[in-house]
Amino acid sequence: MSEALLASEIPGAGATAAPAPASGARQFWRRLHTQRAALVAAAVVALLVLVALAAPLFTALEGQDPTSYHPGLVDSARGGVPVGPLGGISSEHWLGVEPQTGRDLFARLVYGARVSLGVALAATLLQIAIGVTVGLACGLGGRRLDQSLSRATDVMVALPLMVLALALLAVVPGGFPRPVLVALVIGFVGWGGVAKVVRARAISLKSLDHVAAARLSGWGGVRIARRELLPALAAPVITYAALLVPGNITVEAALSFLGVGVKPPTASWGQMLTSADVWYQAAPQYLLLPAAALFVTVLALTVLGDGVRTALDPRAASRLRIGTGRKREDGA
Amino acid sequence: MRRLRRPTSVMSRRAAAASAALVVLAAGAAACAGPEDKSEAGGDGKPRKGGTLTVLNSAPQSDFDPARLYTSGGGNVPSLVFRTLTTRNREDGAAGAEVVPDLAEGLGKPSENATVWTYTLKKGLKFEDGTPVTTKDIKYGIERSFAAELSGGAPFLRDWLIGGDKYQGPYKDKKGLDSVETPDDRTIVFRLNKPVGDFDYVATQTSFAPVPKAKDKGTKYEEHPVSTGPYKVVKNTSDGERLQLERNPHWSAATDAERKAYPDRIDVRSGLNSSVINQRLSASQGSDAAAVTTDTNLGPAELAKVSGDKKLAAQVGTGHFGYTNYLAFNPKVKPFDDPKVRQAVAHAVDRTSVVNAAGGSSLAEPATTFLPNQKSFGHTKFDHFPAGASGNPEKARELLKAAGHKDGLTITLTHSNAKNFETGPEVATALQDALKKAGFTVKLQGLEDNDYEDRVHDAKDEPGLFLAHWGADWPSGGPFLSPIFDGRQIVNDGYNFNSSFHNDKSVNAEIDSINKLTDHDEAAKRWGALDKKIGAKALNVPLFHPVYKRLYGKDVKNVVISDWTGVLDVSQVAVK
Repeated sequence: MSEALLASEIPGAGATAAPAPASGARQFWRRLHTQRAALVAAAVVALLVLVALAAPLFTALEGQDPTSYHPGLVDSARGGVPVGPLGGISSEHWLGVEPQTGRDLFARLVYGARVSLGVALAATLLQIAIGVTVGLACGLGGRRLDQSLSRATDVMVALPLMVLALALLAVVPGGFPRPVLVALVIGFVGWGGVAKVVRARAISLKSLDHVAAARLSGWGGVRIARRELLPALAAPVITYAALLVPGNITVEAALSFLGVGVKPPTASWGQMLTSADVWYQAAPQYLLLPAAALFVTVLALTVLGDGVRTALDPRAASRLRIGTGRKREDGA
Repeated sequence: MRRLRRPTSVMSRRAAAASAALVVLAAGAAACAGPEDKSEAGGDGKPRKGGTLTVLNSAPQSDFDPARLYTSGGGNVPSLVFRTLTTRNREDGAAGAEVVPDLAEGLGKPSENATVWTYTLKKGLKFEDGTPVTTKDIKYGIERSFAAELSGGAPFLRDWLIGGDKYQGPYKDKKGLDSVETPDDRTIVFRLNKPVGDFDYVATQTSFAPVPKAKDKGTKYEEHPVSTGPYKVVKNTSDGERLQLERNPHWSAATDAERKAYPDRIDVRSGLNSSVINQRLSASQGSDAAAVTTDTNLGPAELAKVSGDKKLAAQVGTGHFGYTNYLAFNPKVKPFDDPKVRQAVAHAVDRTSVVNAAGGSSLAEPATTFLPNQKSFGHTKFDHFPAGASGNPEKARELLKAAGHKDGLTITLTHSNAKNFETGPEVATALQDALKKAGFTVKLQGLEDNDYEDRVHDAKDEPGLFLAHWGADWPSGGPFLSPIFDGRQIVNDGYNFNSSFHNDKSVNAEIDSINKLTDHDEAAKRWGALDKKIGAKALNVPLFHPVYKRLYGKDVKNVVISDWTGVLDVSQVAVK
């Protein structure tokens, strides 16, 4: 779904957006633009995505890779603590090296971003795909279908995601590519919330005139869903997705922290945190770096998600006087 | 779990491989040859009597019954209460790996090709209630260890004593075990079904402690076992979670040359997390100042912190224990049936990065021999497939090419997921990186720890290449080499330790021949030569021998760490 379909389709959007005759997408961007925090967050997220995509480029620039051992850079007699100040920071190793192995921390952090962001985005797409499908089927299907799918959704929402994911990850054979597996597990377990939102929305949309007209003219369920419902669902779904991503990042980190996520030697922030937890006194930067990366990423994505929601929600936009072309009236 | 290799313990699943030694770990380890650590670190002078020694442990002293404890050399805390026919020499380092008489006047007298062992008791030995100790009590204690309800002890006597395989213990079988004879109150004779030159080492185990028949309460005996040692149990809480010991007035130093017994009381507190134990010992506040641990050592990060602090660094003892970590091959699995591939792996390993992964040069020493690097095991230096300090990938590539794999080879390395710095992912990834340089693409197969233990000991399902470790029940080459390389000890359906399925008649015959030797030095030489001979077959790649750093409280004096156990000997420690 592209943003082009968005805001103008939302019932009531037209009223508040009176001075904005432009398309929904333009209106969305204008509203987003006026939220400085969201813009900063968007810039941070863009930078992180760039770093993740171009990880090999960045590490090549540094001249390192994430898996090579450098035994000479750690003090073997002292348990393998990095040699040199601040965890062995040097012009060759920008953020120092990992205790015991001497692997480059910058490279591991950058490659870890690929796992964290990649897994979280893939899992989110999967959650949205399953959630929207199930939600629409509930909303448009018969009473029986609605009831059985709704109960299934309730079960998925009630199941503790971590516990289920732990169990699933433990039984899958080791040969399966781990990051893909983690994304699949999070995706297949965490779609309940999306399905509920979509179902509620679809049911309320169903009674609107244009949908009723489409039904009367004999359109099938799939066509109605695609042509009449999906455009109107875009705003809530995108908002929901923006808030799911940071949650999924922390789930991936937690699973790797618990040892069932990605496997060594693949770097992931969660897995770095596990190995680092005993080093917090002797080599604090080893713990602080992945923790800070995780913190910044989740914070940026959450703020961005919040900004997207505000920009897509006409009532919130109006309350905040953003994107209307008028100055705030509270004089602040 | 960090690197806690358990002491006291236990082993488990011995059932199958009974004679095997087990792995284990025991407690301990031992020491290094290092006289440098004789350290008197905590102290200001000579050790004096008095005070309370606190022992902070992670594993509880559960089933505190001499028939049920599985110890190396009689254990640490158990040996304060249970005296045995022989015991460990309570000295630092290599001297501590020797066996010396305890209840017996001298070491055992072997006859009939080391199948008959006779011991004579010292005079004046008493139980904690003042009744004299006789050989009948020792015989009864041994018979108890055969009772099914008192499970957990070492399996050796069951395998070795004539009729031991059928004997059900004294509760079911009132007649007793005929192969243990007590011609008089001070003489005891053991009749074995095969030569066991190492019998004196085994007579240190707690099943050789006397138990007065009149005081035996079956499974409840563990609540208050009758002491012959310098301390008696005054309170046992929650099956050994807390064990409080006080002086036994009927113990006499005149009959016990080994135990110093300086403190008046010993308070053993268990169930603690290993990082909590090390944190408390380094803080040394209140009663923790007079505390030691017998089952916890410093992990790499803790060592990094402690070694940066002069005061704390003085409160660390170093221990060695007979233990080897290695890469095991299963020659039944391709491509490891080809000796050239196995040799290529051996040449390619980078022992520097492996040692770092295991905690660095203070916590591990590179190994090229399967036998631990201690004289008592018969350690003989050799390096059949030299890899230097950081691997020889060129030589490995050559061998791979000769074996028909000129484009390299993809192999799978199985390891445990436990973060234990020995069989876990740390060492596995270090090897993966080193083997890559030699043209191997190593896929890592990490298994949950229990799953891993089951797989690598299952003859039918054993992986082709895996991280393995072995520790001996007593410091001799026998319990190290026989379970791993004796073809008659392959267990096809059960717990198998001979992971290379090695069955060579000449090796089997040599093992039998050395087992007849009662001269430990002579036997050690032959074990060393045998290790060198087997090593040439590249059935495994020795990686490192662990070293243990033991932190103790600031008021602790007279620290003795033997090469037999590798932990602070609580019978020597003083807190005044």
